[in-house]
Amino acid sequence: MKKLMHILMLSCKKASELIDKKLLVKLSVKENMMLQIHTGMCDACKSYQKQSKTIDKLLENYFANPQATIQNIELKERIIEDLPKE
Amino acid sequence: MQDNSANSTSKEIENWVYLFSDELFTWAFYKTSNKEVAEDLVQETFLAAFQKADSFENKSEPKTWLFSILKNKIADHFRKVYRNNSKIEISLEYFFDENENWIENQKPKNWEFDDEKHLLDNVEFNQTLKNCLQKLPEKWNASIIYKFIEEKNADQICQELEISPTNYWQILHRSKLQLRKCLELNWFKK
Repeated sequence: MKKLMHILMLSCKKASELIDKKLLVKLSVKENMMLQIHTGMCDACKSYQKQSKTIDKLLENYFANPQATIQNIELKERIIEDLPKE
Repeated sequence: MQDNSANSTSKEIENWVYLFSDELFTWAFYKTSNKEVAEDLVQETFLAAFQKADSFENKSEPKTWLFSILKNKIADHFRKVYRNNSKIEISLEYFFDENENWIENQKPKNWEFDDEKHLLDNVEFNQTLKNCLQKLPEKWNASIIYKFIEEKNADQICQELEISPTNYWQILHRSKLQLRKCLELNWFKK
């Protein structure tokens, strides 16, 4: 049992890697189990997991968020000026 | 377009420039955080629209069509940024000790914020997030933006950036460690 536990033990460095990996690709059964055991015992990594998910949401929102339209008259003139003319 | 003569094509495109260029520019500027780059991408979008006008055929709204061209241009831009920057190794020693445990003052602690919705809409917070993104190495910044610019899955991203999945999530992992730290220092500790 002790040996088994040792095999399933992750360091915080590895656990935090798996946390971010999990948000991108599917983890193997073993990886998932190791991660669950680790976050069940480690508050810092548990916080990291929460924050990593929050960061994803914040970024998603940041890049989707429509902004107040910026007027750019010079750009309009430049584009029209440079358009192929016939 | 109904009339295919070059003259009426220019007129139509000109009309679109007046109608949509501000919105396209705003969008490109938001994604690239660079005025010159955003302007060039919008100009290229209209040039491409001019050249491809024959294939447009009013199947979609002009605005939707222009945005889809611009999206591809922006993705191309970040793909170039990604490829042109050499690999950066950032040591994880800053975060973890020799036993691979969190260094005491780097340990993530719970972030306190009232509610998520509030934070998402907070202009000041989003500015902080932008600053933190810009502090990342360019290559990392590009790989993050690439992910969030369109809903792309990991396979597509890896294919388009020509990167192995393992490399990709490791870059994202390292970026997130940095972003997390930056947000904690500049926002959550205030």
